[in-house]
Amino acid sequence: MTCAKVKKSLPLLAGDDIPARRARRLLAHVDGCPLCRKELDEYRATLVRVKAAAREDRVEDWSDPEWKGLLARITAGKMEKRSPAPGFRPRWAMASGLAAVILLAVLTLVFRNSIFRPDGTAPAPGPEVVSVTMVSQETGLQVVWFLNKNFEWKGDK
Amino acid sequence: MRMNETEKELVEMVLSGRSEAFEPLVTPYRQPLLAIAYRLTRDLEEAKEVAQEALLRAYKYLGRYDTSRSFRNWLFQIAANEARDRVRKRMREAGAVEEAGRESARSKDPDSGRSSREFRSDLENCLSVLSPREREVFVLRDLEDLDIKETAGALGISSISVRVHLSSARRKIRDVIVAKYPHLQEGS
Repeated sequence: MTCAKVKKSLPLLAGDDIPARRARRLLAHVDGCPLCRKELDEYRATLVRVKAAAREDRVEDWSDPEWKGLLARITAGKMEKRSPAPGFRPRWAMASGLAAVILLAVLTLVFRNSIFRPDGTAPAPGPEVVSVTMVSQETGLQVVWFLNKNFEWKGDK
Repeated sequence: MRMNETEKELVEMVLSGRSEAFEPLVTPYRQPLLAIAYRLTRDLEEAKEVAQEALLRAYKYLGRYDTSRSFRNWLFQIAANEARDRVRKRMREAGAVEEAGRESARSKDPDSGRSSREFRSDLENCLSVLSPREREVFVLRDLEDLDIKETAGALGISSISVRVHLSSARRKIRDVIVAKYPHLQEGS
């Protein structure tokens, strides 16, 4: 593992936000690399200090009467009606129905020749010989390949 | 954090018309809610309005709340959305130049010893280098101690996105502390 790769992960490693297995691999590198170790320590120290600063900078709270008054105003308001039970989800039902219709349409298109022939006969076989033509835009030269149904070149040009 | 049984019961009580159950439901989050709103808006009065609006919406739309989710995350998500909307609106109204002026006014650093107010100013200046999304992620994960999944849930984004923004935020904060506020780094 290279230093460049490890350094990308140091901010997350400092906050223990990396899965244990990957963290072990990173720490194995960090233990043997003074530069990465220094950077990781800086990230950790930064986090500790910023969290401490945030704790000291405790946001002024509502006073109790203010809080009570606020809740009284809120609960005096109207509530929206409860949404349907979790088991019934109209959006999911509509999406599932639409997906089923699309799937059916695709299957119909794919298999219509083999399944839905009106006279019940087998579908007509494809052409025995396939030709591929390439035309040069610069010279106008045309090259035509004739292939059999297995796409094997028959040697004609 | 999934919803606990007591909270579930309180939600049911509120939904069945017993509005007095709303107070014990939200009181445990009173201080963190205000703190998040303040860290995101950087203004106490606006933070109180954001928190109030979040509580109001939580009450009004409690019927839409999915009880399989954490109530705390749901409440924080409402507050974060409200704060984001207000900050955007403020930025639009005030214009980028005026906002920059406010930032520089905040960053003025007196020469005397470091009182808690100055310390707060340093913290605020460190946070001001972050983009709005980085700030949200950093505040929830590192200052309010939600885990990655909870932060993602509260902000309505993926865990991967949280990691990306968190990594970037920590890098910027470390850089700014090393460059401008070494006393924070040293812990003096």
